[in-house]
Amino acid sequence: MYDKTVRRRRAVLALLVVLSLLLLTAYFGESGGGSLHGVQRTFLTAVSPIQDGANKALKPVRDLFGWFGDTVHAKGQRDQLRKQIDQLRPELIAAQSEKRTYQQLLALYHLNRLGVSAYHPVTATVVGKSPNIWYSTVTIDKGSPDGVRVNDPVVNGEGLVGKVVAVEPDGAQVDLITDSSMGVSARIGASNATGIVQPKVGNPNDLLLQYLPANTHANKGEYVVTSGTVSGRDDSLYPPGLLIGQVTSENEESAYKSVNVHPIANLHNLDVVEVLTARAGGTAANLKTLIAALPVGQSSEVTAQGEQLASTGAGG
Amino acid sequence: MTGAPSAGLLARVGALAVVLVFFQIGVVSEVPVFGINADLTPLLVAFVGLLAGSTLGAACGFAVGLLVDLALLQTLGLTSLVFTLIGYWAGRLRELRDPQAGLTPLLVGAAAAAAALVGYSLMEFLLGVDAPVSLDLLRQIVLGTVVDTIVAVPMWAIVRRTLEGGLPEDPRRRRRRRAYTTGGLSPLSKAR
Repeated sequence: MYDKTVRRRRAVLALLVVLSLLLLTAYFGESGGGSLHGVQRTFLTAVSPIQDGANKALKPVRDLFGWFGDTVHAKGQRDQLRKQIDQLRPELIAAQSEKRTYQQLLALYHLNRLGVSAYHPVTATVVGKSPNIWYSTVTIDKGSPDGVRVNDPVVNGEGLVGKVVAVEPDGAQVDLITDSSMGVSARIGASNATGIVQPKVGNPNDLLLQYLPANTHANKGEYVVTSGTVSGRDDSLYPPGLLIGQVTSENEESAYKSVNVHPIANLHNLDVVEVLTARAGGTAANLKTLIAALPVGQSSEVTAQGEQLASTGAGG
Repeated sequence: MTGAPSAGLLARVGALAVVLVFFQIGVVSEVPVFGINADLTPLLVAFVGLLAGSTLGAACGFAVGLLVDLALLQTLGLTSLVFTLIGYWAGRLRELRDPQAGLTPLLVGAAAAAAALVGYSLMEFLLGVDAPVSLDLLRQIVLGTVVDTIVAVPMWAIVRRTLEGGLPEDPRRRRRRRAYTTGGLSPLSKAR
Protein backbone atom coordinates (compact mmCIF):
# COMPACT_ATOMS: atom_id res chain seq x y z
CA MET A 1 0.00 0.00 0.00
CA TYR A 2 2.79 2.40 1.00
CA ASP A 3 4.84 1.55 -2.09
CA LYS A 4 1.83 2.11 -4.26
CA THR A 5 1.23 5.51 -2.73
CA VAL A 6 4.86 6.49 -3.11
CA ARG A 7 4.93 5.28 -6.71
CA ARG A 8 1.76 7.17 -7.52
CA ARG A 9 3.05 10.31 -5.89
CA ARG A 10 6.34 10.14 -7.76
CA ALA A 11 4.57 9.30 -10.98
CA VAL A 12 2.31 12.33 -10.65
CA LEU A 13 5.30 14.57 -9.98
CA ALA A 14 7.26 13.13 -12.89
CA LEU A 15 4.25 13.44 -15.16
CA LEU A 16 3.63 17.07 -14.25
CA VAL A 17 7.30 17.99 -14.59
CA VAL A 18 7.58 16.28 -17.92
CA LEU A 19 4.34 17.89 -19.06
CA SER A 20 5.69 21.28 -18.06
CA LEU A 21 8.95 20.67 -19.90
CA LEU A 22 7.08 19.48 -22.96
CA LEU A 23 4.89 22.56 -22.89
CA LEU A 24 7.96 24.74 -22.46
CA THR A 25 9.81 23.10 -25.32
CA ALA A 26 6.85 23.11 -27.64
CA TYR A 27 5.88 26.69 -26.82
CA PHE A 28 9.43 27.88 -27.16
CA GLY A 29 9.96 26.04 -30.43
CA GLU A 30 6.83 27.10 -32.24
CA SER A 31 6.17 30.36 -34.01
CA GLY A 32 3.80 33.05 -32.84
CA GLY A 33 0.98 31.52 -34.86
CA GLY A 34 1.52 27.99 -33.45
CA SER A 35 -1.11 25.86 -31.79
CA LEU A 36 -0.08 26.58 -28.20
CA HIS A 37 -0.07 30.31 -28.89
CA GLY A 38 -3.48 29.81 -30.44
CA VAL A 39 -4.70 28.05 -27.31
CA GLN A 40 -3.37 30.90 -25.25
CA ARG A 41 -5.16 33.47 -27.43
CA THR A 42 -8.39 31.46 -27.31
CA PHE A 43 -8.17 31.22 -23.56
CA LEU A 44 -7.59 34.93 -23.32
CA THR A 45 -10.55 35.63 -25.59
CA ALA A 46 -12.72 33.37 -23.46
CA VAL A 47 -11.70 34.79 -20.12
CA SER A 48 -11.34 38.42 -21.10
CA PRO A 49 -15.03 39.19 -20.39
CA ILE A 50 -14.59 37.52 -17.02
CA GLN A 51 -11.41 39.48 -16.49
CA ASP A 52 -13.18 42.71 -17.46
CA GLY A 53 -16.05 41.95 -15.11
CA ALA A 54 -13.69 41.01 -12.31
CA ASN A 55 -11.64 44.09 -13.03
CA LYS A 56 -14.67 46.35 -12.68
CA ALA A 57 -16.01 44.49 -9.67
CA LEU A 58 -12.67 44.58 -7.91
CA LYS A 59 -11.96 48.22 -8.72
CA PRO A 60 -13.12 49.45 -5.28
CA VAL A 61 -10.82 46.92 -3.64
CA ARG A 62 -7.98 48.01 -5.89
CA ASP A 63 -8.72 51.65 -5.15
CA LEU A 64 -8.72 50.92 -1.43
CA PHE A 65 -5.35 49.22 -1.59
CA GLY A 66 -4.18 51.93 -3.96
CA TRP A 67 -5.25 54.58 -1.49
CA PHE A 68 -2.99 53.11 1.17
CA GLY A 69 -0.17 52.78 -1.32
CA ASP A 70 -0.71 56.32 -2.59
CA THR A 71 -0.70 57.65 0.95
CA VAL A 72 2.63 56.00 1.67
CA HIS A 73 3.93 57.19 -1.69
CA ALA A 74 2.66 60.72 -1.03
CA LYS A 75 4.44 60.76 2.30
CA GLY A 76 7.64 59.72 0.57
CA GLN A 77 7.14 62.43 -2.02
CA ARG A 78 6.44 64.97 0.69
CA ASP A 79 9.69 64.13 2.46
CA GLN A 80 11.56 64.30 -0.82
CA LEU A 81 10.02 67.68 -1.67
CA ARG A 82 10.87 68.98 1.78
CA LYS A 83 14.48 68.05 1.17
CA GLN A 84 14.34 69.82 -2.17
CA ILE A 85 12.88 72.90 -0.51
CA ASP A 86 15.68 72.85 2.04
CA GLN A 87 18.20 72.63 -0.79
CA LEU A 88 16.56 75.36 -2.85
CA ARG A 89 15.89 77.80 -0.03
CA PRO A 90 19.47 79.16 0.13
CA GLU A 91 19.47 79.50 -3.65
CA LEU A 92 16.19 81.42 -3.49
CA ILE A 93 17.51 83.71 -0.79
CA ALA A 94 20.65 84.38 -2.83
CA ALA A 95 18.57 85.02 -5.95
CA GLN A 96 16.24 87.38 -4.08
CA SER A 97 19.22 89.22 -2.67
CA GLU A 98 20.73 89.55 -6.13
CA LYS A 99 17.41 90.71 -7.53
CA ARG A 100 17.09 93.36 -4.85
CA THR A 101 20.62 94.55 -5.48
CA TYR A 102 19.92 94.64 -9.20
CA GLN A 103 16.76 96.69 -8.66
CA GLN A 104 18.60 99.13 -6.46
CA LEU A 105 21.41 99.45 -8.98
CA LEU A 106 18.83 99.97 -11.72
CA ALA A 107 17.16 102.69 -9.69
CA LEU A 108 20.52 104.34 -9.13
CA TYR A 109 21.15 104.18 -12.84
CA HIS A 110 17.86 105.99 -13.51
CA LEU A 111 18.69 108.49 -10.78
CA ASN A 112 22.00 109.20 -12.48
CA ARG A 113 20.21 109.83 -15.72
CA LEU A 114 18.07 112.42 -13.92
CA GLY A 115 21.07 114.55 -13.02
CA VAL A 116 22.68 113.12 -9.91
CA SER A 117 25.66 112.08 -11.98
CA ALA A 118 26.83 115.68 -11.87
CA TYR A 119 27.60 115.18 -8.19
CA HIS A 120 30.13 112.42 -8.85
CA PRO A 121 28.27 109.62 -7.20
CA VAL A 122 30.34 106.84 -5.73
CA THR A 123 28.46 103.57 -5.54
CA ALA A 124 28.91 101.84 -2.21
CA THR A 125 27.62 98.71 -0.60
CA VAL A 126 26.12 98.78 2.84
CA VAL A 127 28.25 96.46 4.93
CA GLY A 128 26.83 97.15 8.37
CA LYS A 129 23.70 98.42 9.98
CA SER A 130 23.17 99.69 13.46
CA PRO A 131 21.41 97.02 15.46
CA ASN A 132 20.04 99.69 17.77
CA ILE A 133 16.74 101.19 16.72
CA TRP A 134 17.68 104.49 18.30
CA TYR A 135 20.70 105.07 16.12
CA SER A 136 19.85 105.10 12.44
CA THR A 137 23.26 104.56 10.96
CA VAL A 138 24.78 102.31 8.34
CA THR A 139 28.36 101.55 7.39
CA ILE A 140 29.40 101.56 3.74
CA ASP A 141 32.42 100.01 2.09
CA LYS A 142 33.76 103.20 0.43
CA GLY A 143 36.01 105.65 2.25
CA SER A 144 38.39 108.51 1.82
CA PRO A 145 40.40 106.98 -1.07
CA ASP A 146 37.17 106.93 -3.07
CA GLY A 147 36.55 110.62 -2.52
CA VAL A 148 34.03 110.19 0.26
CA ARG A 149 34.08 113.02 2.78
CA VAL A 150 32.16 113.96 5.88
CA ASN A 151 28.74 115.53 5.15
CA ASP A 152 28.51 114.03 1.68
CA PRO A 153 24.87 113.26 0.86
CA VAL A 154 23.95 109.61 0.45
CA VAL A 155 21.12 108.55 -1.85
CA ASN A 156 19.68 105.38 -3.28
CA GLY A 157 17.37 104.80 -6.19
CA GLU A 158 14.34 105.91 -4.21
CA GLY A 159 15.68 109.16 -2.82
CA LEU A 160 17.68 110.70 -0.02
CA VAL A 161 19.07 108.27 2.51
CA GLY A 162 21.31 110.32 4.76
CA LYS A 163 24.75 111.84 4.98
CA VAL A 164 28.27 110.73 5.76
CA VAL A 165 29.29 111.46 9.35
CA ALA A 166 32.62 109.66 9.61
CA VAL A 167 35.14 108.57 7.02
CA GLU A 168 37.87 105.99 7.24
CA PRO A 169 40.18 104.75 4.51
CA ASP A 170 38.22 101.55 4.07
CA GLY A 171 34.70 102.69 4.86
CA ALA A 172 32.40 105.38 6.11
CA GLN A 173 29.54 105.80 8.50
CA VAL A 174 26.27 107.23 7.28
CA ASP A 175 23.56 108.79 9.41
CA LEU A 176 20.16 108.05 7.93
CA ILE A 177 17.59 110.82 7.61
CA THR A 178 15.68 109.22 10.46
CA ASP A 179 18.60 109.70 12.85
CA SER A 180 17.90 112.19 15.59
CA SER A 181 20.94 114.27 14.63
CA MET A 182 19.72 114.87 11.09
CA GLY A 183 18.14 118.00 9.65
CA VAL A 184 17.57 118.49 5.93
CA SER A 185 16.49 121.66 4.18
CA ALA A 186 13.41 120.66 2.18
CA ARG A 187 10.35 121.95 0.40
CA ILE A 188 6.98 120.61 -0.55
CA GLY A 189 7.04 119.76 -4.24
CA ALA A 190 4.26 122.00 -5.54
CA SER A 191 5.05 125.05 -3.42
CA ASN A 192 8.15 127.05 -2.71
CA ALA A 193 7.71 126.81 1.03
CA THR A 194 10.85 125.45 2.61
CA GLY A 195 11.44 123.95 6.02
CA ILE A 196 13.63 121.51 7.88
CA VAL A 197 12.99 117.80 7.80
CA GLN A 198 13.81 116.10 11.07
CA PRO A 199 12.90 112.75 12.64
CA LYS A 200 9.65 112.82 14.50
CA VAL A 201 10.09 112.62 18.25
CA GLY A 202 8.86 109.29 19.54
CA ASN A 203 8.76 107.75 16.12
CA PRO A 204 12.21 107.46 14.58
CA ASN A 205 10.82 105.91 11.40
CA ASP A 206 8.72 108.97 10.61
CA LEU A 207 9.78 112.50 9.65
CA LEU A 208 8.53 115.98 10.39
CA LEU A 209 8.88 118.93 7.99
CA GLN A 210 9.03 121.91 10.34
CA TYR A 211 9.25 125.67 10.21
CA LEU A 212 7.03 126.07 7.20
CA PRO A 213 5.29 129.42 6.81
CA ALA A 214 1.95 129.37 8.60
CA ASN A 215 0.00 129.93 5.39
CA THR A 216 1.54 126.90 3.64
CA HIS A 217 -0.95 124.38 2.43
CA ALA A 218 0.19 120.77 2.01
CA ASN A 219 -1.95 118.03 0.57
CA LYS A 220 -1.68 114.47 1.67
CA GLY A 221 0.53 112.51 -0.71
CA GLU A 222 2.51 115.51 -1.93
CA TYR A 223 6.21 114.89 -2.36
CA VAL A 224 8.79 116.50 -0.14
CA VAL A 225 12.14 117.12 -1.83
CA THR A 226 15.43 118.65 -0.84
CA SER A 227 15.46 122.38 -1.38
CA GLY A 228 19.16 122.59 -2.18
CA THR A 229 19.17 126.20 -1.10
CA VAL A 230 22.32 128.18 -1.87
CA SER A 231 22.80 131.15 0.38
CA GLY A 232 26.49 131.76 0.89
CA ARG A 233 28.01 129.95 3.81
CA ASP A 234 24.72 128.23 4.73
CA ASP A 235 24.50 126.27 1.48
CA SER A 236 22.49 123.09 1.72
CA LEU A 237 24.55 119.93 1.71
CA TYR A 238 22.06 118.22 -0.55
CA PRO A 239 21.36 118.69 -4.25
CA PRO A 240 17.95 120.19 -4.97
CA GLY A 241 15.04 117.97 -5.93
CA LEU A 242 16.07 114.78 -4.18
CA LEU A 243 13.00 112.95 -3.03
CA ILE A 244 12.66 112.58 0.73
CA GLY A 245 9.14 111.45 1.36
CA GLN A 246 5.42 112.05 1.09
CA VAL A 247 3.17 114.24 3.20
CA THR A 248 0.91 112.19 5.43
CA SER A 249 -0.79 114.93 7.49
CA GLU A 250 -0.62 118.56 8.53
CA ASN A 251 -0.09 119.88 12.03
CA GLU A 252 -1.61 123.20 13.07
CA GLU A 253 0.81 125.32 15.06
CA SER A 254 0.87 129.00 15.98
CA ALA A 255 3.84 130.65 14.30
CA TYR A 256 4.91 127.88 11.91
CA LYS A 257 3.28 124.96 10.28
CA SER A 258 4.69 121.46 10.23
CA VAL A 259 3.70 118.40 8.24
CA ASN A 260 4.29 114.74 8.85
CA VAL A 261 6.37 113.06 6.18
CA HIS A 262 6.80 109.36 5.50
CA PRO A 263 10.25 108.62 4.02
CA ILE A 264 10.16 107.21 0.50
CA ALA A 265 13.43 105.30 0.71
CA ASN A 266 13.13 101.94 2.40
CA LEU A 267 15.75 102.57 5.05
CA HIS A 268 15.38 99.11 6.52
CA ASN A 269 16.44 97.43 3.35
CA LEU A 270 19.54 99.21 2.10
CA ASP A 271 22.08 97.25 0.14
CA VAL A 272 23.53 99.64 -2.40
CA VAL A 273 23.75 103.42 -2.05
CA GLU A 274 25.49 106.29 -3.77
CA VAL A 275 27.58 108.91 -2.06
CA LEU A 276 27.41 112.26 -3.83
CA THR A 277 31.02 113.34 -3.48
CA ALA A 278 30.55 116.77 -5.10
CA ARG A 279 28.33 118.78 -2.80
CA ALA A 280 25.37 120.87 -3.83
CA GLY A 281 27.06 124.17 -3.07
CA GLY A 282 30.47 123.02 -4.31
CA THR A 283 32.27 124.04 -7.48
CA ALA A 284 31.35 121.00 -9.47
CA ALA A 285 27.66 121.27 -8.69
CA ASN A 286 27.60 124.99 -9.42
CA LEU A 287 29.34 124.41 -12.74
CA LYS A 288 26.74 121.84 -13.62
CA THR A 289 23.99 124.30 -12.75
CA LEU A 290 25.64 126.96 -14.92
CA ILE A 291 25.98 124.55 -17.82
CA ALA A 292 22.35 123.61 -17.51
CA ALA A 293 21.37 127.28 -17.53
CA LEU A 294 23.12 127.97 -20.83
CA PRO A 295 21.21 128.01 -24.13
CA VAL A 296 20.95 124.63 -25.86
CA GLY A 297 23.51 125.29 -28.54
CA GLN A 298 26.20 126.47 -26.17
CA SER A 299 25.55 124.00 -23.43
CA SER A 300 26.53 121.00 -25.54
CA GLU A 301 29.87 122.56 -26.37
CA VAL A 302 30.64 123.50 -22.84
CA THR A 303 29.41 120.32 -21.26
CA ALA A 304 32.63 118.41 -21.80
CA GLN A 305 34.73 121.20 -20.35
CA GLY A 306 32.31 121.61 -17.46
CA GLU A 307 32.44 117.90 -16.67
CA GLN A 308 36.22 118.02 -16.72
CA LEU A 309 36.23 120.99 -14.36
CA ALA A 310 33.65 119.34 -12.20
CA SER A 311 35.78 116.24 -11.78
CA THR A 312 38.75 118.41 -10.89
CA GLY A 313 36.63 120.24 -8.36
CA ALA A 314 35.45 117.03 -6.78
CA GLY A 315 38.95 115.83 -6.26
CA GLY A 316 39.86 118.97 -4.34
CA MET B 1 -3.37 12.51 3.11
CA THR B 2 -2.68 9.19 1.52
CA GLY B 3 -5.86 8.40 -0.43
CA ALA B 4 -7.20 10.07 -3.55
CA PRO B 5 -8.55 13.56 -2.91
CA SER B 6 -12.29 13.89 -2.77
CA ALA B 7 -14.24 15.66 -5.47
CA GLY B 8 -15.27 18.29 -2.93
CA LEU B 9 -11.69 19.07 -2.10
CA LEU B 10 -10.75 19.26 -5.76
CA ALA B 11 -13.64 21.63 -6.40
CA ARG B 12 -12.60 23.84 -3.51
CA VAL B 13 -9.00 23.93 -4.65
CA GLY B 14 -10.05 24.66 -8.23
CA ALA B 15 -12.43 27.45 -7.24
CA LEU B 16 -9.89 28.98 -4.91
CA ALA B 17 -7.21 28.81 -7.60
CA VAL B 18 -9.37 30.48 -10.24
CA VAL B 19 -10.59 33.22 -7.90
CA LEU B 20 -7.12 33.93 -6.55
CA VAL B 21 -5.47 33.99 -9.98
CA PHE B 22 -7.99 36.54 -11.22
CA PHE B 23 -7.70 38.49 -7.97
CA GLN B 24 -3.94 38.44 -8.41
CA ILE B 25 -4.15 39.65 -12.01
CA GLY B 26 -6.95 42.16 -11.41
CA VAL B 27 -6.03 43.68 -8.07
CA VAL B 28 -2.81 42.59 -6.43
CA SER B 29 -0.69 43.04 -9.53
CA GLU B 30 -1.87 46.64 -9.79
CA VAL B 31 -1.13 47.62 -6.21
CA PRO B 32 2.59 47.97 -5.64
CA VAL B 33 3.95 47.59 -2.13
CA PHE B 34 7.46 49.00 -1.57
CA GLY B 35 7.69 49.37 -5.33
CA ILE B 36 6.87 45.74 -6.16
CA ASN B 37 3.78 43.60 -6.36
CA ALA B 38 2.92 40.77 -4.01
CA ASP B 39 2.39 37.38 -5.66
CA LEU B 40 -0.30 35.27 -4.04
CA THR B 41 -0.07 32.34 -6.42
CA PRO B 42 3.06 30.61 -5.01
CA LEU B 43 1.58 31.06 -1.53
CA LEU B 44 -1.64 29.41 -2.64
CA VAL B 45 0.23 26.47 -4.14
CA ALA B 46 2.45 26.03 -1.10
CA PHE B 47 -0.45 26.19 1.34
CA VAL B 48 -2.53 23.74 -0.67
CA GLY B 49 0.45 21.39 -0.55
CA LEU B 50 0.89 21.99 3.15
CA LEU B 51 -2.76 21.18 3.84
CA ALA B 52 -3.58 18.56 1.24
CA GLY B 53 -0.30 16.78 0.58
CA SER B 54 2.30 16.55 -2.14
CA THR B 55 0.23 15.06 -4.93
CA LEU B 56 -2.52 17.63 -4.74
CA GLY B 57 0.07 20.33 -4.08
CA ALA B 58 1.96 19.44 -7.26
CA ALA B 59 -1.24 19.19 -9.28
CA CYS B 60 -2.45 22.51 -7.92
CA GLY B 61 0.93 24.05 -8.76
CA PHE B 62 0.76 22.79 -12.30
CA ALA B 63 -2.81 24.01 -12.78
CA VAL B 64 -2.24 27.42 -11.22
CA GLY B 65 0.98 27.85 -13.21
CA LEU B 66 -0.80 26.93 -16.41
CA LEU B 67 -3.63 29.34 -15.62
CA VAL B 68 -1.18 32.15 -14.95
CA ASP B 69 0.79 31.45 -18.11
CA LEU B 70 -2.36 31.31 -20.18
CA ALA B 71 -3.90 34.44 -18.70
CA LEU B 72 -0.75 36.52 -18.90
CA LEU B 73 0.43 35.19 -22.27
CA GLN B 74 3.65 33.97 -20.73
CA THR B 75 5.79 31.05 -21.86
CA LEU B 76 3.57 28.03 -21.32
CA GLY B 77 4.97 25.51 -18.87
CA LEU B 78 7.41 27.85 -17.19
CA THR B 79 5.33 28.81 -14.18
CA SER B 80 3.79 25.36 -14.14
CA LEU B 81 7.17 23.75 -13.69
CA VAL B 82 8.22 26.05 -10.85
CA PHE B 83 4.88 25.86 -9.07
CA THR B 84 4.68 22.07 -9.43
CA LEU B 85 7.94 21.74 -7.56
CA ILE B 86 6.83 24.22 -4.89
CA GLY B 87 3.53 22.44 -4.32
CA TYR B 88 5.24 19.08 -4.16
CA TRP B 89 7.88 20.32 -1.72
CA ALA B 90 5.27 21.86 0.59
CA GLY B 91 3.27 18.65 0.51
CA ARG B 92 6.31 16.53 1.32
CA LEU B 93 7.09 18.88 4.19
CA ARG B 94 3.69 18.20 5.62
CA GLU B 95 3.95 14.45 5.02
CA LEU B 96 7.40 14.08 6.50
CA ARG B 97 7.51 16.67 9.28
CA ASP B 98 3.90 17.71 9.82
CA PRO B 99 4.97 21.08 11.25
CA GLN B 100 2.49 22.55 13.70
CA ALA B 101 4.36 25.63 14.89
CA GLY B 102 2.57 28.95 14.58
CA LEU B 103 5.30 30.34 12.36
CA THR B 104 5.05 27.48 9.85
CA PRO B 105 2.80 29.33 7.37
CA LEU B 106 5.09 32.35 7.54
CA LEU B 107 8.24 30.32 6.89
CA VAL B 108 6.64 28.15 4.22
CA GLY B 109 5.24 31.28 2.55
CA ALA B 110 8.64 32.95 2.59
CA ALA B 111 10.34 29.85 1.23
CA ALA B 112 7.70 29.42 -1.49
CA ALA B 113 7.95 33.07 -2.53
CA ALA B 114 11.75 32.95 -2.63
CA ALA B 115 11.71 29.66 -4.51
CA ALA B 116 9.23 31.03 -7.05
CA LEU B 117 11.23 34.21 -7.64
CA VAL B 118 14.59 32.46 -7.83
CA GLY B 119 13.23 29.55 -9.85
CA TYR B 120 11.47 31.82 -12.29
CA SER B 121 14.61 33.94 -12.72
CA LEU B 122 16.75 30.83 -13.24
CA MET B 123 14.34 29.50 -15.84
CA GLU B 124 14.31 32.81 -17.67
CA PHE B 125 18.10 32.85 -17.72
CA LEU B 126 18.16 29.26 -18.96
CA LEU B 127 15.77 30.22 -21.73
CA GLY B 128 18.17 32.92 -22.81
CA VAL B 129 16.62 36.14 -21.55
CA ASP B 130 19.19 38.82 -22.25
CA ALA B 131 19.44 40.43 -18.81
CA PRO B 132 22.39 40.69 -16.42
CA VAL B 133 22.37 39.29 -12.89
CA SER B 134 22.41 42.58 -11.08
CA LEU B 135 21.94 43.89 -7.57
CA ASP B 136 18.59 45.26 -8.69
CA LEU B 137 17.41 41.75 -9.48
CA LEU B 138 18.58 40.51 -6.08
CA ARG B 139 16.86 43.44 -4.43
CA GLN B 140 13.64 42.63 -6.25
CA ILE B 141 13.86 39.01 -5.14
CA VAL B 142 14.50 39.95 -1.51
CA LEU B 143 11.76 42.60 -1.47
CA GLY B 144 9.34 40.26 -3.21
CA THR B 145 10.04 37.58 -0.63
CA VAL B 146 9.51 40.05 2.21
CA VAL B 147 6.21 41.32 0.81
CA ASP B 148 4.95 37.79 0.14
CA THR B 149 5.95 36.77 3.66
CA ILE B 150 3.85 39.63 5.02
CA VAL B 151 0.78 38.52 3.09
CA ALA B 152 1.42 34.85 3.87
CA VAL B 153 -0.44 34.95 7.18
CA PRO B 154 -3.80 36.19 5.85
CA MET B 155 -3.33 34.00 2.80
CA TRP B 156 -2.83 30.95 5.02
CA ALA B 157 -6.04 31.79 6.88
CA ILE B 158 -8.00 32.07 3.63
CA VAL B 159 -6.66 28.81 2.16
CA ARG B 160 -7.11 26.86 5.37
CA ARG B 161 -10.63 28.19 5.91
CA THR B 162 -11.59 27.33 2.33
CA LEU B 163 -10.16 23.81 2.32
CA GLU B 164 -10.97 22.91 5.91
CA GLY B 165 -14.29 21.27 5.18
CA GLY B 166 -12.93 19.25 2.28
CA LEU B 167 -9.87 17.83 3.96
CA PRO B 168 -10.23 14.22 5.14
CA GLU B 169 -8.67 15.02 8.50
CA ASP B 170 -7.09 17.99 10.16
CA PRO B 171 -3.36 17.51 10.77
CA ARG B 172 -3.59 18.99 14.25
CA ARG B 173 -6.51 16.79 15.16
CA ARG B 174 -4.68 13.76 13.85
CA ARG B 175 -1.58 14.60 15.86
CA ARG B 176 -3.57 15.22 19.01
CA ARG B 177 -5.29 11.89 18.59
CA ARG B 178 -1.94 10.18 18.02
CA ALA B 179 -0.53 11.80 21.14
CA TYR B 180 -3.39 10.56 23.24
CA THR B 181 -3.43 7.02 21.95
CA THR B 182 0.25 6.07 21.49
CA GLY B 183 3.50 6.12 23.36
CA GLY B 184 2.11 6.23 26.86
CA LEU B 185 1.13 9.85 26.54
CA SER B 186 -2.56 9.18 26.95
CA PRO B 187 -4.06 10.25 30.25
CA LEU B 188 -5.68 6.83 30.31
CA SER B 189 -2.32 5.07 30.07
CA LYS B 190 -0.96 7.30 32.81
CA ALA B 191 -3.87 6.31 35.01
CA ARG B 192 -2.94 2.70 34.74
